[in-house]
Amino acid sequence: MRRIIGACVALTVLAVLAGAAFAARGSSRSVTLTLWHNYGTGGNAVATKNLVAAFEKQNPNIKINVVSQPGGNYFQLLQAAWIAHTAPDLSVEWTGLFDTKYEKQLLNLKPYFTTGELNKINGARWSSSNFTPSQGLLVMPLENQFYMGFYNRALFKKAGVTSVPTDWSQLFAACTKLKAAGITPIVYGADPQAIGPNPYPFYDLSYIAAGLFSPTQLKGLYTGQIPWTSPGLVKEVGLWASMPKKGCTNSDVLTKTNILGAFMKGQAAMIIDGNWDTATLRKAMGANVAPFLPPFTGKPQHGVVQYSGDGFSVSKESSHQKEAVQFLKFLTTPTAARIISQAGLIPDVQGFSATNPLANQMLAFARTGKTVYPMIDNVIQGDVVTTGMKQLDAALGGDISAASALKSMKQTLDSLPANQRGSVYH
Amino acid sequence: MSAIDWMERQGVAVWRRRTSKSLVYLVLLAVTAIMLYPFWLMGQMSFRSLPQYYLGKGFSLTTWHDLFAALPVGREMLNSTLITLTAILVILAVSTTGGYALGKLRYRLSGVVFLVVASSMMVPMQSMIIPEYINLARLGFINHYYGAIAVYAALGAPFATFLMTTYFRRLPEDVIEAALIDGLGYGTVFFKIMLPLAVPAIVTVAVLQFIQIWDDLLVGLLFLQTPAHRTITVGLETIPAQHFQDFPMEMAGSLVSALPAVVVYLVFQRYLVRGLTMGMSK
Amino acid sequence: MSLQEALADAPRVRRRKPRSPLAAQRRRMGIVFTLPVAALIGTLLLIPIGQTFYYSFTNWDGFTSQWIGFAAYRHLFANPEFVTVLENNAVMVLAIPIAIALPLGVAFLLNTHLRGWRFFRSVFFLPTAVSWVVIAFVARRFFDPDKQGILRGILDHTGLGFWHPDLLAHEHSALIAVMITFIWSVFGTNMIIFLAGMSTIDQEIYDAAKVDGAGSFTVMLRITFPLLKRFVQFAFIISLITAFSALFSLIIVMTNGGPGYGSTTLEFFIYEQAFTENNFGVGATAGVVLFVLVFAVSMVQLRLLRSDD
Repeated sequence: MRRIIGACVALTVLAVLAGAAFAARGSSRSVTLTLWHNYGTGGNAVATKNLVAAFEKQNPNIKINVVSQPGGNYFQLLQAAWIAHTAPDLSVEWTGLFDTKYEKQLLNLKPYFTTGELNKINGARWSSSNFTPSQGLLVMPLENQFYMGFYNRALFKKAGVTSVPTDWSQLFAACTKLKAAGITPIVYGADPQAIGPNPYPFYDLSYIAAGLFSPTQLKGLYTGQIPWTSPGLVKEVGLWASMPKKGCTNSDVLTKTNILGAFMKGQAAMIIDGNWDTATLRKAMGANVAPFLPPFTGKPQHGVVQYSGDGFSVSKESSHQKEAVQFLKFLTTPTAARIISQAGLIPDVQGFSATNPLANQMLAFARTGKTVYPMIDNVIQGDVVTTGMKQLDAALGGDISAASALKSMKQTLDSLPANQRGSVYH
Repeated sequence: MSAIDWMERQGVAVWRRRTSKSLVYLVLLAVTAIMLYPFWLMGQMSFRSLPQYYLGKGFSLTTWHDLFAALPVGREMLNSTLITLTAILVILAVSTTGGYALGKLRYRLSGVVFLVVASSMMVPMQSMIIPEYINLARLGFINHYYGAIAVYAALGAPFATFLMTTYFRRLPEDVIEAALIDGLGYGTVFFKIMLPLAVPAIVTVAVLQFIQIWDDLLVGLLFLQTPAHRTITVGLETIPAQHFQDFPMEMAGSLVSALPAVVVYLVFQRYLVRGLTMGMSK
Repeated sequence: MSLQEALADAPRVRRRKPRSPLAAQRRRMGIVFTLPVAALIGTLLLIPIGQTFYYSFTNWDGFTSQWIGFAAYRHLFANPEFVTVLENNAVMVLAIPIAIALPLGVAFLLNTHLRGWRFFRSVFFLPTAVSWVVIAFVARRFFDPDKQGILRGILDHTGLGFWHPDLLAHEHSALIAVMITFIWSVFGTNMIIFLAGMSTIDQEIYDAAKVDGAGSFTVMLRITFPLLKRFVQFAFIISLITAFSALFSLIIVMTNGGPGYGSTTLEFFIYEQAFTENNFGVGATAGVVLFVLVFAVSMVQLRLLRSDD
């Protein structure tokens, strides 16, 4: 009797297990991924939402949970999640040295992309391991971004500035004319760059570096081969820091609030910013606003800072790596490019234009022969960026000299361990 | 001294008292303006849309609409309430008992214990939150309400215990001695006599900890990583991005988030003064 | 005097020899009532603090750590930025007495129950409910040297318009702006701490003083303040801890630690190292230094304001 009962129990158990196995297999056809982003409420968030919706439509067995995580502390949260193994499958990452920093946690996408596919991605170089696409893509860029200057056409005309300045002497001449007409030439201050409460000096530094070095030479700044205190940099950064004293800017460069508003209201003729405010600028100023390359050089400015600053990565510990990569690949398709462009961003895939005329004007720089440069704060060490943010601002504010600001940056670089300034980007 | 002289002197004294009193009120009103300014600013900014903020004028309800569309405000407020209230209950439980023990019962090691409790506040949170996080992650406390509640309770307990100890020490001994003569034990003394007398301190602890826990960002961020459990303070942080900040929306969100603390304070502030109970117990 | 006699004379906690059962019960209940807080703090606070002490001797990056012993501390103190940061913290200590005196004065005023005191008490406390982001935003508006700046407006209206302070723009004055904002933000907290303390003072003492003809100022100085000493000590330590380890959210929005290292406090430095640069080991080392600083200053303060009970 007992043996019969035992057999029944065993059979029941087996049946239940088999049923579970079949049910599992059946449900494993539909996969749920988690995606974390730090895009807040702006255009990137809208683009992400729409991209996910379109992707889910194309792939009905894959569902993606989009989670908006706080923008500040985002990377600390990711780190903590990796430590606790609660990390998402897909996450927004910043490119350049920001992703090589987390290389150990990010899935190397080398097996998933052919060389041909990589060539079509504009920002592939700076999103790869050691900045070499053949060593494996780490981040799939979402959009093209720019560091850029913007000027007010009407104010230039009013002050008699007939051509857009392309080097220091032309810039200072334009400043004199604008000041005489009672207009602030370039406005600096706290926002709109939501990065922090002070001006972000790396928009300007990128263009200063573009005037001195070629894109490949920038590695010298990373390794220290080109020291931060090199005479060329000291001279150019010195000229930059002298702008407030020469009357080229407002007097409260470090503390003025709402500078975007000041520019839009016509109180200032020029502003240095990124492309993220182009929709706002266009709406407020119409055809009166146009982009120009910050002329922080002795020779005419020949570089444009066009760079994909962020995108998506797959976490190494994701249990659905294949499906996650499918989403990344979706980002290179025309459907995706259209969605990105409709959200007000500039797609990173070659052959696509944007909806905003300002954006197209910015894209035209590269197409008409200007050399494309990365954002310098993405290709130098984070510690140096932190020091530079503080010291370059202090120089602009007139507290210290440009030379001593650059010296601090050099000191920070020299005190880093060797593997963080070696021949391999870490 | 003639009658007129006397009346004059009285008049001067009254005048002097009046001017010093009006001076006092002037100062108090000036301080009031300074204290209320942030609320006025939050209100003014939240009723402008983002373009209106840049241009510095205008009135619009867009921002409020967008706030509730961007964040599950109600849900996150509920999460904040649940977590904060539970943590405060735990904090009050351990700090009143601990404060009574360290402030009144005073056994041999109580000095050392008090020192340890007070010192544990002195290590900055940023330094020890990661080890704490790793420990609790190993125990599976992440993404559960009780994880965050436990951490908040632990972080707030030293401050609360310190205050309760200070307060209990100031309470007079003779009340306890009278109770002991009547045959009550130390435990009953705590519940029947000490706690009612400690109401002002309890309210102070509750209100201060409410604000501290409600406004905390780091613990909520690390220990409650999923939106379902998120508090409103962490939720508000999802509004700003790297290159884009909807300032009016942040102001609107901050205003909503500040309201519960204000309500809690206004409801409980009359318990801050003990008043007559002391005299009555005698 | 023999050593034993000297020891017996030394001030310490009054020890009752556990002769009577009442004293034994007192001690037992003491331990029982301490258990909850001891358990909570022991497991959830002392253990990570201990780990922080351990990691302070390593170069931990969140994933792997390597013991380097006292070299961690030497390396830290050799860092010129760290020295500047310590100086900033030293300056911040100067704000604490003001952060105590102002709310204390107002608490006295309110304790006289003048007309509308409950209204004022509520209004003065409300800023405590406001998040640091908003406070920092307001502070930037306040210190903005432009026409829209509030401080500039006040100076212009009171005839001091010739003075154009731009506190946030200079390395050596940004910290002062932070200190002013700090004092403003802890005003409400300290005020209600003192009000709670004042509620422990027997009304009869005030009545007796009034019968004796004492003016309100005398009452304040001779009666209230001595009885409040413990609370002043408490408020000092709390304000010190706030200034040293709870201002991060304010600083990051208000000045981001700059210009230069002007407003980088030790806490900000720790956050930068631990969370931005992933140098958790350095963050732990600096955290231990911060602990020692707070502890030392607290002990000095307790000495200076020595209380009798």
